[in-house]
Amino acid sequence: MALEITNSKRMKMRQTLFKRVFLVLFFTLPGVLMAQGTITGNVTASVDGLPLPAVNVVVKGTTVGTTTDFDGNYEITVNDFPVILVFSSLGYAEKEVEVTSATAKDVILEESATGLDEVVVTGLATSVKRSNSANAVASVSAEELTGRTPPSTLDGALYGKFAGAIVNSNSGAPGGGISVKLRGATSITGNTQPLYIIDGVYIDNSSIPAGLNVVSEAAGQGSDSNQDNPSNRIADINPEDIANIEILKGASAAAIYGSRAAAGVVIITTKKGKAGETQFKFSQSTGFTQAINLYGLRNYTEDKVFDFFYSPSDDPGEDQSSRDAANAQVALFSQARSSGNLVDYEKEIFGEKGLISITSFSMSGGDEKTRFFSGITHNNENGIVKGTGYEKTSLRLNLEHRATDFLKLSLSSNYIYSSSNRGFYNNDNTGTSIGVALVSTYPWYNLFPNADGIYTDYALGASNILQTRDLVTNNEKINRAIMGGTANLDIYKAEKSNLELILRGGLDFYQLQTRAIFPKELQFQKPSNGGRNGVSVQGETINKNYNLSAFLVHNYFTENNINFRTQAGLTNEFFERNTDLITATGLVASETNVDQAANTGVDQTRVQQEDAGFFVQEEVNFQDKLIATIGLRGDKSSNNGDANKLAYYPKASLAVSLNEFGFWKEDSAWNQFKLRVAYGEAGNFPQSGALFTSYNSFSTDGILGISLRGIRGNSNLKSERQKELEFGTDLSFFGGRLGLTATYYTKTVDDLILLASLEPSTGYTQQFVNAGSLQNKGIELSLNAVPIATENFQWDLGVNFFKNTSEITELNVPAYNTGAFGAGLGSYRLEEGKSATQIVGSYPDGLRVIGDGEADFQIGYNNNLSYKNLQLTFLWQWKQGGDNINLTNLLSDLNGTSADYDDLTLDPAGETVNGKFRPNANAEVFVQDASYLRLREIGLYYTLDSKVLPNVFGDTIESIKFGLSGSNLINIFDYNGYDPEVSNFGGSTIFTGVDVTPYPSSKKYMFNVAINF
Amino acid sequence: MKIYLDKILGCTLIMLGLLSCEVEEFSDLNGPEVEAFQEKITRGDLPDLVGGVLYSSRVNLGGYFDDVGVIGREFYRFSASDPRLTGDLLGGGTNILDNNTFYITNPWAARYRTVKNANLILGFFEGQDVSDQFSDQELNATKGFLKTFIAHDLLLNLNLTDENGIRLDVADEDNLGPFVSKTEALSGIRAMLEDAAADLGNGGDAFPFFLPSGFDGFDTPSSFLGANQAIAARVAIYQADAPAALSFLENSFLDLDPTNLNSGVYYNFSQDQTDILNPMFFPVEATAAGARIMQASFLSDAETGDNRLSKVAQRSEPLTQDGLTGAYAVFRYETDTDPIPMIRNEELILLYAEANITVNPAEAISALNVIRESADLPSYTGPSDSASLIDEMLKQRRYSLYAEGHRWIDMRRYERLDELPIDRPDDDVWPMFPIPLNENQ
Repeated sequence: MALEITNSKRMKMRQTLFKRVFLVLFFTLPGVLMAQGTITGNVTASVDGLPLPAVNVVVKGTTVGTTTDFDGNYEITVNDFPVILVFSSLGYAEKEVEVTSATAKDVILEESATGLDEVVVTGLATSVKRSNSANAVASVSAEELTGRTPPSTLDGALYGKFAGAIVNSNSGAPGGGISVKLRGATSITGNTQPLYIIDGVYIDNSSIPAGLNVVSEAAGQGSDSNQDNPSNRIADINPEDIANIEILKGASAAAIYGSRAAAGVVIITTKKGKAGETQFKFSQSTGFTQAINLYGLRNYTEDKVFDFFYSPSDDPGEDQSSRDAANAQVALFSQARSSGNLVDYEKEIFGEKGLISITSFSMSGGDEKTRFFSGITHNNENGIVKGTGYEKTSLRLNLEHRATDFLKLSLSSNYIYSSSNRGFYNNDNTGTSIGVALVSTYPWYNLFPNADGIYTDYALGASNILQTRDLVTNNEKINRAIMGGTANLDIYKAEKSNLELILRGGLDFYQLQTRAIFPKELQFQKPSNGGRNGVSVQGETINKNYNLSAFLVHNYFTENNINFRTQAGLTNEFFERNTDLITATGLVASETNVDQAANTGVDQTRVQQEDAGFFVQEEVNFQDKLIATIGLRGDKSSNNGDANKLAYYPKASLAVSLNEFGFWKEDSAWNQFKLRVAYGEAGNFPQSGALFTSYNSFSTDGILGISLRGIRGNSNLKSERQKELEFGTDLSFFGGRLGLTATYYTKTVDDLILLASLEPSTGYTQQFVNAGSLQNKGIELSLNAVPIATENFQWDLGVNFFKNTSEITELNVPAYNTGAFGAGLGSYRLEEGKSATQIVGSYPDGLRVIGDGEADFQIGYNNNLSYKNLQLTFLWQWKQGGDNINLTNLLSDLNGTSADYDDLTLDPAGETVNGKFRPNANAEVFVQDASYLRLREIGLYYTLDSKVLPNVFGDTIESIKFGLSGSNLINIFDYNGYDPEVSNFGGSTIFTGVDVTPYPSSKKYMFNVAINF
Repeated sequence: MKIYLDKILGCTLIMLGLLSCEVEEFSDLNGPEVEAFQEKITRGDLPDLVGGVLYSSRVNLGGYFDDVGVIGREFYRFSASDPRLTGDLLGGGTNILDNNTFYITNPWAARYRTVKNANLILGFFEGQDVSDQFSDQELNATKGFLKTFIAHDLLLNLNLTDENGIRLDVADEDNLGPFVSKTEALSGIRAMLEDAAADLGNGGDAFPFFLPSGFDGFDTPSSFLGANQAIAARVAIYQADAPAALSFLENSFLDLDPTNLNSGVYYNFSQDQTDILNPMFFPVEATAAGARIMQASFLSDAETGDNRLSKVAQRSEPLTQDGLTGAYAVFRYETDTDPIPMIRNEELILLYAEANITVNPAEAISALNVIRESADLPSYTGPSDSASLIDEMLKQRRYSLYAEGHRWIDMRRYERLDELPIDRPDDDVWPMFPIPLNENQ
C-alpha cells in the first residue's frame, strides 16, 4: 500500500505543479491572452458509464492536446474560444465537441460502429486499432457467434464467418468433433489445429480416444490412425460466454506466440460486466435436430435378391446349395414384403428427431471499482440416434477489480461439466460398429427385440444393429475448470509516456472419463460367435496446463503525434497429461466394473511438456499514417531434440494509411485506403514421443516381453518453422458503408516433420524426420456493405471469399501414400511438386492423380436485414471443389445394399449397374466431389423493447427478443453420402474427407427467447 | 524517480520468481528406450527382451496364414470390411496384388520386427562387456535361440515373396544389406541356422530367460537344437537338397510314430489384454463379417474316412461373399487360445518322406504310411515311382498341414500352381507377392 500512497502523492504533485505553472502564466500574460481558458471534464464510455483513460483530446486544427488520466479526467488550456475539441480513443468513435467558454465539459464516447475503429490484438498484451493493423485479423463478435442461431459448440459457430478458415465437422455425433484449419495445410504429422487462448489461458483441444479399438479393431489392417471418433475438447467452451473472438490466421500475425502458433491462434475474450444497474439475461432455446440426408433403401425385387445371393459354381452340389441359399433369402424377402415388414434400418437408426434445449442465465454489473459477469448455461441435446446425446453445464464468473488507480485485477473462471453419448460408428474390421453393420443389414430380417426384450442374432452379419444401438454405451464425461488471472500495474504514467506491467497466469484443468461398455449379451460379444463375452473399456485422463507470463509495456508519445510502444515479456507454459485406459473383457454377469471381468489390461500414457520463452516488440505509429512493428520471440521446449536451445521467431509489419496523408478532401468518399504488409515466423512442435526409439510392453502366455514400436524416433528432430508473408489492402468508402479487404499470403513450412516410411526390413515401418517444405498461397477477400440504411430499415451484407493452394516444394524422402486405406481405394500421397492433399489411385500403369482434398474456393455470404424491431439474418456457405474418398459406397455395394445399386450412372459402357461396377472399378469412383452450398444459419427475430413494454410488463423488463432459427436447413450437394463434410480419421490431420459409414450430420430447428431485465 | 525504480525492481523480482528460463528435459515417459539398453543391459532385462521376440513373432501371423491359405486355395477369407481379401488375393476381376497393401506390408513388417527385436539383443551383447552379467554358455544359448528365430522369420517372408527375394542382412538399420535371390536367401537362412546350431551346442543346459508352454520339451539349449534342426530340414527341402534334409532330420525331433504327430514348437495365445488371440480361429457359424470358409475341393478331393477332415466343420447355412460360397468353415483351431505350430512332428515325417522319394523310395512310402495310418487311412498302394510318390506326398501334406501355411508353397515348389482350383472365371493364382513398396526396390 505504500506504493499507492506515494503514487497518488505524485499525481497530486504533478497536478499542483501544472496548476502553478498555469497560474503563473495566467497572471503574467493577462493582457495578451484574454480569451485563454481551461476546459476540464471527464470522459466516459457510453456502454458502461465508466471513465475512459488515455483518451486523446486535441484542439481541432492545432497540435495542442492532452490525454485523460486514469479516472477519465482531462484538463486543457486553449487560447481562444470557441474551440472544437476532438476526443479519440481506441475502439470508440471519434467525437468533436464545440466549447465556447472555459467550463467543465463532460463527454461520453460511443463504441465504434463502423468497424474501422475496432481493436485487434498485435502483441501478447496489447492491441491496435483495426485501421492501423498490418494483418488481416478476423474477428467474430458475440452477435455473429450466437445471435443468429445457438451453436452447440464454439468451433461449430465459426463456419463461413470469415475468410481463411476451413471448418470441418468430422462426424455428426452430438458434442463436437470439429476441426478448424487456418490458411491451408500447416503440417503433415504435427498439429494442424489453431492454438486456442481464452482470457490468456492456453486451452487444451485434444481428442482423446475411448479405446473402442479393442472391439472395432479398426487400427490394424493397413491403418493405425485413430478411428474412435472422439470429440475435441474445445467443444467444452460455452459460446454464450464469449464476447469476441479474434483469429490470427498465420505466422505473420501470430509470431509473437512463437513455437505453438504455426497453425494460427484463436484468441477468445469472454464477457465482462459493466458498471451500473445489474443486468439480467435469461434465454431459452428449444428445438430439434434431424438428419439432413439419408441414403434410402435399395429398391429390392425377388430377382435382385436372388442375383446377389447366388453365385454360380461348376460343382453341381455347390451350385445347388448356393441356389438354395439364394432362394431362401428370396422367400424371406417376399414374405416380409407381403406382410409389410420390410424395415428401413437406416431410418430406424438415423431417423430420430433429437430434442435440443439450451437454457442460459447471466447476470452482470458492478460499480466503478468492481465489475462482474456471471452466467450459467445448460445444454441438453439428443442426437438423431436413440441413446446418443450431449449434455453440458457451464458456469462462469468473471471479476474485474480496480484496486487502486494504478492497479487492476481481473479473474475469469469457468467450470464445465459435460457428458456425451457418442454411439459406435465409423470404420471397423469386425462388422460391429453401427455404421459398418448397417450396410450389411437386409430389410427382410427382423432385428427388433421380442416382448421380453431379447434380441435375436442377425443371421447374415456379426451384429444386430438395433441391439448394438440399444445396449452399447460410449460415453465421455468431462469435469473441467479454466481459470485465468491478470494484474495490470501502472508503474508510472506521465503525459508523454507510461509504463505498465502485466502479470498473467492461467490454468486449464480437466478430468475426462470415457466409458465404452459392450455387454455380453450383444451378438458379437457371445463367445459362441467368437466374442469376448463382454467388454468394458474405461479411461481416465487428467490434464493440466498452466501458463505464466509477465509483460512490460511502455508507451511514448511525441509532440507531433508519433507514438512508440515497446513491450517485452517472459512466458512459461506447462503441460501435463496422464491417461489410464483399462480394458476388461469377459464380464461377470451384467457388471461393468473393470474388476468384474476375466481379463483386464491397463494402458497408461503420459505426456509432459515445458516451454519457456521471451518476446520483445516495438511499434511505431507515425501520425496514423505509417504504423510499423517489429518483434522477436524466443522459445525453448522440452519437446525439442535440444530442450534448452532457443528458437527465434521474428516478425515485422508495416501499414500505410494513405487516407491520412491528406490526398483526399475531408468529405471524400474515401474513408480508408490502407496498404499493409506483414511477415512473421512461427513454429510447430514435434509430436510428443517423436524423439525416442522405444519398446512397448506385451505378454506371451503370461511371459512379459518388450517389442519395438513401429516408429523409429529421432532425437535430432527440430520444430517445424512456418514463414508467412502477407500483404493486402483495406478500403472503406461512404462513411464506412462499403468496406473491402483483400489479402494475399504465401506461407512456407520448412523442416516439415514427416512420419516417413522406412524400409520395413529395418524393423521399423516409419520414422520421424525433418524432410521437406510445404507452401501455401492464398487469397482472401471480404466485402462489407450497408446498401440500405433508413430509419426503419437496414440491410447489412458481408461476403468473404478465399482460396488456398498448397504444394510440397521439397520432399527429402521418397513420395509416399498416407491418410487413407491404400491407393487401390484412393489415397493421399505426399510428392514433391504436388499438392499436399492430392489423392491418387492405383492403375495398371501405376499411380494417377485422381483428386485433391483441398477446395477450389469457399465463400461465405452473410445478410442481416432489420425492419423496425424485426430482424432476419442468414449465412450461406459455399465450398467449391475438394474431393472425398467415399468408402461407404464400396461397403454397401459389397453387401448389395446401396440405394443406387441398380442405377446405371457410372459405367461408361452403360452396362453394369453401379453396385456391381464400383467394387471392380478403379479408385476414381470412390473419389468424389465434396462441394456444397449450405444455408448454415438463419434466424428471424422480433424484439419487444422498452418502448413497447412498459404497458405490458411495467418497467421491470428491458427487452424481450424471440424468434426462430435453424442451422444447415438447406444443403445442396452432389456427393453420394450423408454429407460431404466428414472425416473418418478425425480432425487432427490435413487428410480429412475419408468417408467410412459415419454418424450422419444433422440440421437443427430452434425457437429462441431471450429476456433482458 | 527512485520510487519508480523500486517498483520496477519489485515487479521484476516477482517475474523472475514466477518464471523459469530452464526447461526440463524428459526421457520417454511411456516405455523403455533402446538407447538405455545400448548403454547397459542387465541380467533382469534379458527375459523381457527375449519375451518381446516371442511376442512379435506372433504379430500378424493371421495375415501370413491368410495370404498363403487363400492363394493356396485352402480357404477363402471373408471380411465385411475389407474386400481385398477376396479380391486381390484371389485375383478377382482385374485385381492384382498390390505392393503397398496390408496383405503383404503387414506380415512382412511384422516378421522383420521380430528380426530386429532379436538383432538388437545380439547388438547389446556386442556393444558392451556383459561378462559380469552372463556366462559364455548363457550368451551362446541366447544367441543360438535368437538366430534360430531370425532365420525362421526370414523364411516366412521369403515364402511370401519367393523369387522376388528378401533382405538377409538387416542388423544395421542405417545400412541394410541388399535384396538377395531366393537361392541365396535360402542358403543364407540355412547358414544362419547352422550358426545358431553351433551356438546352441555350446549353450550349456539352460536358457537365461523364460519360455512359454509352447516350448515345452524344447526349453533347454540342447532340446531347442532339435527344433533348430527341424527348421533347417524344412529349408533344405525348399532347396531340394534331400541328403542335407535327411541329415538335419537326423538331429531334429523327428519321431516316426503315428501317435506323436503334434510334438513340436508352438506359438501360444491367450486372452490376456497385452497378449494376442489365435488369429486363425473363427467360430463355425461366423458371419461374412469375418470368416474362413473351406474351398470346396478340400472335401471333394479327400479319401473316404480321412479323419483330417475334422479340420473343417459344416455350417448350418452356407456363407456367401463376393461371388464365393461355401458351407464348411475352417475349424483347424477350436478356441481362440489354441496354440499354432511353428513346426511339428507331422511335418517332419512328411519332410522325411519327401527327402526319401529320391534317396530311398521304400522309406518314403513307409513314412507316408505313418501319416496315412494316423489319418485312419489304409496303407499306400500306388506305384512307387517318384512322380506318384510326389503326388501322394503333396496330398498328405495338403491334409496333414491344412491351414498351417504350406499348400501354396508346396504347389509352387513343384510348379503345380496351375493345378490349384479357380472359383471365379477371372481369378488368378499368384506365384508370389511383390516386394513391399516401401523397401524402395
